[in-house]
Amino acid sequence: MIDIQLNGKMVKAEEGEMLLSIIRREGIDIPALCDHEAIEPCGACRLCMVEITRKEWEGWKKHVTSCLYPAEDGLIVNTHTEQVMEIRRTILDLYLARCPNSKVIQKLAEEHGVVKTSFEKIPDADNCIMCYACTRICEVLGRSAISAVYRGHDKVIAPPFGEEPPDCIGCLSCAMICPTDVIPWQDENGVRTIWKKKFDMIACEKCGKEIITRDFADYLISSRNIPEDYFKICDDCKRIDLANKMGSIILQAEEAAL
Amino acid sequence: MEHDINKIREVISRSPADPSSLITVLQDIQREFHYLPCEALKETAKALYVPLSKVFSASTFYNAFSLTPRGENIIRVCQGTACHIRGADQLLEQLEIGLKIKAGQTTPDMKYTIEIVNCVGACAMAPVMIVNNKYHANVRCDRAMRLVKRG
Amino acid sequence: MRVDSVEKLDRLRDDYRKAIDTQKKRIAVCLGPGCLAMGSDVILKEFKKVLADKKIKDVTVESVKKTGCHGFCARGPLVVIEPEGIFYTRVKKNHVADIVEKTLINGEIISKLLYIDPQSKKQITDYREIPFYSHQQRISLRNVGQIDPDSIGDYISSGGYSAMAKALTSMTSQEVIDEVTKSGLRGRGGAGFPTGRKWETCAGVESDTRYVICNGDEGDPGAFMDRCIMEGDPHSVLEGMIICAHAIGSRQGYIYVREEYPLAVINLQTAIDAAREYGFLGENILGTGLNFDIKISRGGGAFVCGESSALMKSVAGEVGEPRAKYIRSVVKGLRDQPTVLNNVESFATVPVILNKGGEWFASVGTKKSTGTKAFSLAGKINNTGLIEVPMGVTLREIIYDIGDGIPKGRKFKAVQTGGPSGGCLPEDKLDLPVDFDTLTEAGSMMGSGGMVIMDDRTCMVEVARYFLEFLVFESCGKCVPCREGLYQLYRLCTKICEGEATEDDLESMERLSKTIQIGSLCGLGQSGPNPFISTVKYFRDEYLAHIRDKKCPGGVCRKLITYRINDKCTGCLACLDVCPVDAITGKKKEIHVINTEICDRCGACYAVCTFDAIDIE
Repeated sequence: MIDIQLNGKMVKAEEGEMLLSIIRREGIDIPALCDHEAIEPCGACRLCMVEITRKEWEGWKKHVTSCLYPAEDGLIVNTHTEQVMEIRRTILDLYLARCPNSKVIQKLAEEHGVVKTSFEKIPDADNCIMCYACTRICEVLGRSAISAVYRGHDKVIAPPFGEEPPDCIGCLSCAMICPTDVIPWQDENGVRTIWKKKFDMIACEKCGKEIITRDFADYLISSRNIPEDYFKICDDCKRIDLANKMGSIILQAEEAAL
Repeated sequence: MEHDINKIREVISRSPADPSSLITVLQDIQREFHYLPCEALKETAKALYVPLSKVFSASTFYNAFSLTPRGENIIRVCQGTACHIRGADQLLEQLEIGLKIKAGQTTPDMKYTIEIVNCVGACAMAPVMIVNNKYHANVRCDRAMRLVKRG
Repeated sequence: MRVDSVEKLDRLRDDYRKAIDTQKKRIAVCLGPGCLAMGSDVILKEFKKVLADKKIKDVTVESVKKTGCHGFCARGPLVVIEPEGIFYTRVKKNHVADIVEKTLINGEIISKLLYIDPQSKKQITDYREIPFYSHQQRISLRNVGQIDPDSIGDYISSGGYSAMAKALTSMTSQEVIDEVTKSGLRGRGGAGFPTGRKWETCAGVESDTRYVICNGDEGDPGAFMDRCIMEGDPHSVLEGMIICAHAIGSRQGYIYVREEYPLAVINLQTAIDAAREYGFLGENILGTGLNFDIKISRGGGAFVCGESSALMKSVAGEVGEPRAKYIRSVVKGLRDQPTVLNNVESFATVPVILNKGGEWFASVGTKKSTGTKAFSLAGKINNTGLIEVPMGVTLREIIYDIGDGIPKGRKFKAVQTGGPSGGCLPEDKLDLPVDFDTLTEAGSMMGSGGMVIMDDRTCMVEVARYFLEFLVFESCGKCVPCREGLYQLYRLCTKICEGEATEDDLESMERLSKTIQIGSLCGLGQSGPNPFISTVKYFRDEYLAHIRDKKCPGGVCRKLITYRINDKCTGCLACLDVCPVDAITGKKKEIHVINTEICDRCGACYAVCTFDAIDIE
């Protein structure tokens, strides 16, 4: 355990623990749009920036993204200095120009005193904030079906060649993790559509509810050692079955006891 | 445009079959076919054990690669600082008017492609234009088309 | 032929030197980027043909060799005849027969090919007496322009690989690091990090694997020093890397060469193949047990890949997106292993430091910026070319004593250094010494060595716009301050150039710049606003002229200028022919007229007029 100073207060932390987790643990609220517990941090949004210094730096300061900076003994951290707030406001101002219609951005910007953008709005703006959560979760899952393509201001999230991504299994992780709900998907008549690709769904043999895409099921069975028949029954029906089984075991036990 | 799958595989096989060869393989494909055909990228993904999305990302990230077929003659106009202040803009403009296409495009007869490139390192002789790997130095804008037609 | 001991290497060196001494005359044809672009390869071929036909005593085809950039690009194509140093300039193919006949056979000098000093008006025969050369001290460029880059024999005979032999056979790893530290060498790629300290830190990290990478991604537009070293003296880079491998304990090195330098790749590969053949790369180098090999990794065309973490991603076959460097690459670099990344010029300098001593190197230059620095002089300057001077030499000395000032009688306006990370300095800063720290304090930076001179026909706002456009194009796009911030900064700068901006916009740009500098993930974004900040600092009146008066004092910004033909016009039709929108009318031998309604102010007419007949208002 090490000691760091956070907004004037001494706090304990694990050596090498990222500052953001310490900051959150202490109940301090700072924005971090590209951060998510299921994926490794990447420092893209820059909103979680904080000021750091050390006694031996004699007043010299540095600004770092707290999601990626590991705590060291003797570190002095400030999360809401004038400079840090100015950086957050300007970044949110830039976000507003990029995603003017995003409710998430509008709300966060307003919380920081930025009601409308002072910059030129981007033509044909959508609500993608380029946090790369979708591509990162897809990679974690082992598919890497989509990626960030092109470079710089033209960068977008897209499947290869803009066509149906061959490696997509329709798991919806990308759509679920997206903080601004930008990835459209649809389940209809036993078919799921996402990234223009259609997937057949497996329906529960008991209740008929659609559980999962065939491709996702096959992938989990082959890569995660899940039994072949696992997806024949949905979780709800499995629970009912289990409850009934538990019930009949208890009944039998009671009868045996009598 | 169809491409011989065996030729594609041969080009890919010139480098070790692992992810770190990706950029080199893309360059070899670009050099061989003058662009990156879709089938070649799919074969590359398979051969190097790299997800297709990453192959596609690399193809679109780097300036050297083109996803569309390019012309027989590639004209590269340097946009470095020295070239810029010694008239690279006027030079490019004369080419765009002469060939009736903009930078990044190819003439309909597939004979010429104009590309801009960020500094080729011949700054002392700015402005510089490269036609099919032949360097032309101190190019005055009104002489550009003549040099291109000469080849 | 494996050279497996120092003794063998020494004998080999003697043999090579003896062979060179038998050549009574040596003819060097410069094949540097500038001369090559002017067709010097044709001149080389012609020399070989003529000498093969002529059969002169003591001068054979072997007497002619290609070299890397001799330096004085403005006077190319260059041919230098040793041992006298006879310096022929602006050589054409049809001069070759004459040079052979008159100079090589009869010992006569061809005056019309000599350099004429513009001050003294005298012809100078020996290039070493020309001010362009006499003011220089070539350390990293010691062999460039002197040796045939394809000949390992040339390299060895000029002392090459002797530093490697010394390091590997008589110095421990720590002693090598100490010597480099003593020299005070700071990274020549621009950041100026102390090289000795970098090697020391890397060597101290616990690991079985360490990498040595040479950064040959010279992306700064206007810089070509590294290109000339890689093409003109590739073995010096290899030798520096081998010494580093011994110092830090590495078995594998990479040279990352940008895609736009195919000749550098070829020449480096030739050198690597030769070094392997001689046993200077591979297993058991020089019989010392050191195993080290080098591979070339080619870039795909991305300025951001000059940044160390992006470069390492690219070497690993990925998209070149930088990462936050809170954990430095000396600790976790390529494939998460400790890695030393140094610039081409830095590695090329290392052998000299080992041979002459760190103390000697530290005696050159200034206290905090030791040694020399190579620069590429380009832009609106008479003597464009490749130079190397001790640190501490002033900008004025470089631009006027070596560069011979501004051509066409125009006035100096600004000197741009440090590429897109750097800035522009005005006339009253010309007495500043060039080193790592002084130019940075003044709001610019020395950078990797690209030096572009600008005259009074340059618009400093447009220069800022040009750099911002470059950076927006080259940004990797990962983080918001760079991707969105530089884009908005570029849009606002364009507004100024088009006369559509307000003073509020200028203030907005200054505030935005601060966030981009502090907030960006990597150096590209962090230094991105520099061209704007430095030009606003020293040329604020130009910005205000665009904003308040809708005028462009430099006569460049199209929407704010007008072209008019004056009475110096001779009616030659040149401008008429080149005008892309047919805005010029006039008959032969009659004064032409520009229709200012149609004219889109592209400047083509101004570029082709040789009578000074076009005014810009």
